[in-house]
Amino acid sequence: MRRAAKASIYVALVLLAAVSVVPFLWMLATSVKHGQDIYTKVPNLLPVDKKTGEWAATLGNYDYVLGVGGLGRAFVNSVWVCAILVPAKLLVDALAAYAFARIPFPGRDKLFVIMLGGMMVPAITLLVPRIHVTQALGMFDSGWGLIVPNVASVLDIFLLRQFFLSLPGELEEAALIDGAGRMQIFWRIVLPLSKPVLAVVTITSFLFHWNDLVWPLVVTNDPELYTLPLALQQLVASPDGGRAYYIMAGATLAVLPVIGVLLVFQRRILQGIAFTGLKG
Amino acid sequence: MAAPALSQRAEVAAGSGRRARRRPPRRRDHLVGWLLVTPALVYFLVFLLYPALSALYYSFTDWNLRSDAGWVGLANYADLLFDDVKYPHFWRSVQVTLQYTLLAVPMTLVTALVQALLLNAIRRGANLFRLLLFLPVVTAEAAVGAIWRWLYDPQYGLINSVLGLVGIPGQNWLNTPELVIPALAFIAAWQCGISMIIYLAGLKGIPGTIQEAAIIDGAGPWQRFWRVTFPMLRPTTFYLLVTGVIAALQVFGLVYVIFSGNGRSVTGGPEQSGLTYVLHLYLFAFRYDAMGAACAMSFILLVFIVIVTALQFRFVKQEAS
Repeated sequence: MRRAAKASIYVALVLLAAVSVVPFLWMLATSVKHGQDIYTKVPNLLPVDKKTGEWAATLGNYDYVLGVGGLGRAFVNSVWVCAILVPAKLLVDALAAYAFARIPFPGRDKLFVIMLGGMMVPAITLLVPRIHVTQALGMFDSGWGLIVPNVASVLDIFLLRQFFLSLPGELEEAALIDGAGRMQIFWRIVLPLSKPVLAVVTITSFLFHWNDLVWPLVVTNDPELYTLPLALQQLVASPDGGRAYYIMAGATLAVLPVIGVLLVFQRRILQGIAFTGLKG
Repeated sequence: MAAPALSQRAEVAAGSGRRARRRPPRRRDHLVGWLLVTPALVYFLVFLLYPALSALYYSFTDWNLRSDAGWVGLANYADLLFDDVKYPHFWRSVQVTLQYTLLAVPMTLVTALVQALLLNAIRRGANLFRLLLFLPVVTAEAAVGAIWRWLYDPQYGLINSVLGLVGIPGQNWLNTPELVIPALAFIAAWQCGISMIIYLAGLKGIPGTIQEAAIIDGAGPWQRFWRVTFPMLRPTTFYLLVTGVIAALQVFGLVYVIFSGNGRSVTGGPEQSGLTYVLHLYLFAFRYDAMGAACAMSFILLVFIVIVTALQFRFVKQEAS
């Protein structure tokens, strides 16, 4: 009986995992098929010739979407945006979090509570005036417009502050006695001790901005500036949108880096989710 | 040279005990503190507080991005709620969003709970399964939309093919008004990984002794779930319910990708069956340049979210007492 229960649990998990994963396998399979081979009555995960049944995988769809489809440029844009945005954001958030956690200055706690309150406003409420501000600052439809309006996160400041509060104060006091300045303490003591939480914030930020569609959608007009999700959406909306083999090649390009990050950092990510609830 | 300095420091430390600090002067600490929060504070003022306040102001104007904003008082709100010539699909979008929320949130929570319970019951392979079940969440909504458009394809989609195997006739999922919301809710449940991880953390937090006591008292697995596990998960469920409802009311990216295909302008699907509230808002803000009205819509949503969340808190409080 117990063994039967165990077995049925595994069967259920395999079925659920299949529902999770098969869409990705189907995406991958479609992305390497020739156009005429994807329209089959009986689904086939293998890229084979519809008529002869011979192996017929192709990378031509990737060639097309990376070039004509504009996804190559978008991929590079996404990498650039994340490469600048994520470290910059981490720095801004960590500096503020350190001050909120460790440096007593007048008005600190009130300021922190007010900022936390700002977190409650839904993103959609801020969207329209944020575009307006971005325009007024001359950043609309530019690379800066993709980066600067996202360069801090109250949620991340909150998380980092919680972690900094948990560090033993004796270390800092000893360093202060030895004549270290606040910035030295921040760089040499606090940041090295905070690697786990810094990793969580870095990864969740990367995932969020790599995947973000809404902000690039409203802040850019110039296709030269499109990030990967936006370029993919444009491809779906274009006359090519009916061509699943192109779209799936584009989706694969958007998904593969994320799967890589997930595989490498899975423990950090899953631990992080349990107490951050990702973003949003 | 080094020796006197060292002994001096030792004296200071010894002289005034452990609390002794040669702190920088207080005023300098104040300055450093403010300096460190300045970048975040500027960001907060420019990209959070000012937008929030100006959204409220603009909601009382007839603003589009090109012209100056003219004060119109409550006209935007009144027109949205009552003028079905000017905004013919406003109430449709409310209806679509409520249907989606009422279907997607419970489906997501139930799926997440089932997955978490199963994962919690096994040792071997738990990490692998957890990873596989989590995969859909980290995927960009643009990619999710693209993938599911293809899976739901009426002729060659995998969904219809699989249903065909068990003898269920294929459907034109994304082109049949009645099926659009269930199809979208299914995608949401497919992406339940975050809730699953949070449920899992909740399950780990239940002390094993309580379960053991229940077993000793002769409770079967079903009873243990309803009498012990589920009540102990109530705070987790409540958190997921509140955040899930807030997120579902704002669903946008996915429907935008799915219903912007083949070069048509976004319409929100057949008979506006996928026209969610935020998609409607987006269209008026960025296609029809009605920024003032869009700001009003965002505040109607904000008020609605606050009310729904407060009701949820109240409901739970009552039930607890």
